[in-house]
Amino acid sequence: MGIIPQLILNSIIAGAIYSLVAIGFSLIYGATKFFNLAHGVMAAIGGYSVFYFAKTLGWDLWLAVSIGMLLAGLIGYGLDKIIYKPLRKRKASNMVLLVASLGAFTALQAIIAILFTSQFQTISGNIGAQNIYEIFGGVITQTQLIILISAITIMAGLALLLKYTMFGKAIKAISDDEEVSKIVGINTDKIIGYVFFIGSVIAGLAGILVGFDTGIKPTMGLSLLLKGVIASIVGGIGNIYGGVLGAFLLGFVENFGIWKISGEWKDAIAFGLLIVFLIFRPRGIINN
Amino acid sequence: MTILETKKLEKHFDGVQAVDNLSIGIEKGEIAGIVGPNGSGKTTLINLLSGTLEIDAGAVIINGVQKFENINPWQISFYGITRTFQDVRLFEQMTVLDNILVVLTERNVFSSLFEKHKEYHLKKAEEVLQKVGLWKKKNQLAINLSYGQRKLLEIARTLAMDAEIYLFDEPFAGLFPEMVKIVSDVVKELKREGKTIILIEHNMELIRKLCDYLFVMDEGKLLAEGKPEKVLAKKEVIEAYLGK
Repeated sequence: MGIIPQLILNSIIAGAIYSLVAIGFSLIYGATKFFNLAHGVMAAIGGYSVFYFAKTLGWDLWLAVSIGMLLAGLIGYGLDKIIYKPLRKRKASNMVLLVASLGAFTALQAIIAILFTSQFQTISGNIGAQNIYEIFGGVITQTQLIILISAITIMAGLALLLKYTMFGKAIKAISDDEEVSKIVGINTDKIIGYVFFIGSVIAGLAGILVGFDTGIKPTMGLSLLLKGVIASIVGGIGNIYGGVLGAFLLGFVENFGIWKISGEWKDAIAFGLLIVFLIFRPRGIINN
Repeated sequence: MTILETKKLEKHFDGVQAVDNLSIGIEKGEIAGIVGPNGSGKTTLINLLSGTLEIDAGAVIINGVQKFENINPWQISFYGITRTFQDVRLFEQMTVLDNILVVLTERNVFSSLFEKHKEYHLKKAEEVLQKVGLWKKKNQLAINLSYGQRKLLEIARTLAMDAEIYLFDEPFAGLFPEMVKIVSDVVKELKREGKTIILIEHNMELIRKLCDYLFVMDEGKLLAEGKPEKVLAKKEVIEAYLGK
């Protein structure tokens, strides 16, 4: 096993996870122009759903995964309908929406901790986490391979959706100018609701995959959210392709950054990258 | 038949009365011009009619039956109203063609998830882009168009909506003569098709040529109304423009 191939593989896997969070975050930011901090907790909802349905109740794992994604999506959709949409209607500023999303994040995270305790849990069960493959001199587990394949599938699916469907064009139009979108007859509230659903489903999947790989805890959403936000800003906020680019750049910088130093520096390196971009290229790699 | 009416419409911004007790009626199939000095409330009126601004008091009546004390912008297309903006507003990150296709988008969200675009949509998009001379630019991003082309694309977008009432806010401003002709032709064709047009414009020659009826606004109030030739000859109108 070579160090460089392993670092490359680790970077790609980290990038894949971050990109799943960043895609959903960017999609929602693009449509609403506010930082939806509650996006992070969708990952925990996904992870804990699988833990509850598959591990506690013993349901079929893939059914639990589907329920987890759906539940995250519905909660994301519900947050938009119950909290964000009424605030948007009252022309609340983006700062108000951000604070509201922080409140939703904190409340949902607390509910998860009350229901499942703050203890670290594992859900890896029977997806073959113990199977290991060697690729180009690096080692990858079956779970990590599933993460990679899922991320690529989601990215490709979303790219096709945005490029080729009228729904995708409507999302792009709302991202460009919500008011004009309304005037040309696009029901922006409905589309934004669906954007929240799709973004939250993807975040839920990210949480499930992280859960399979490293386990779950109620606060897992925060670290994932921070990485997703960094990836989005580095890539170009609001642009999902930028989010993916930023996520993989972040994955590589983080993993190569800790090559010679302790892994505890990972977060410092991630925020270092963010600061560098904020100073020298604040609009990210893809400059909208 | 009066297709669009305002009843004692009011809008103020921080103590400034932008539209003041305004009651006007626009007849179906006519081109109604709205003129007035800068800051007279013309654009505010268009913004109120299109739901871009909330109405403080009064009402808007569409087709003589639908009365609105407030209009939601996304509803206006369902009542057959479309508009352009004084400062052109396009979907900048989309191509010229997509700017039109998105207007023709399937309104049902679930259908739109699976629908790409149909032959009809492409045909309609080509028709309106040909009309304003932008078909050759169909694959260019809107953000890369020149100012005049942007104005033409915005007008093409309104044509794609196939509305009954067109609110044009200074559509000729900053255009080259050949572009002015394109927009004039579009406006005349819409009138031939029986559509109603509300035109805010500063160019009095164009107003005289195109408009059937004219409203003059000053400080948010209706100063005069009537046939363009008569209205523009009125002393108070000349004074509002040139000062006493």
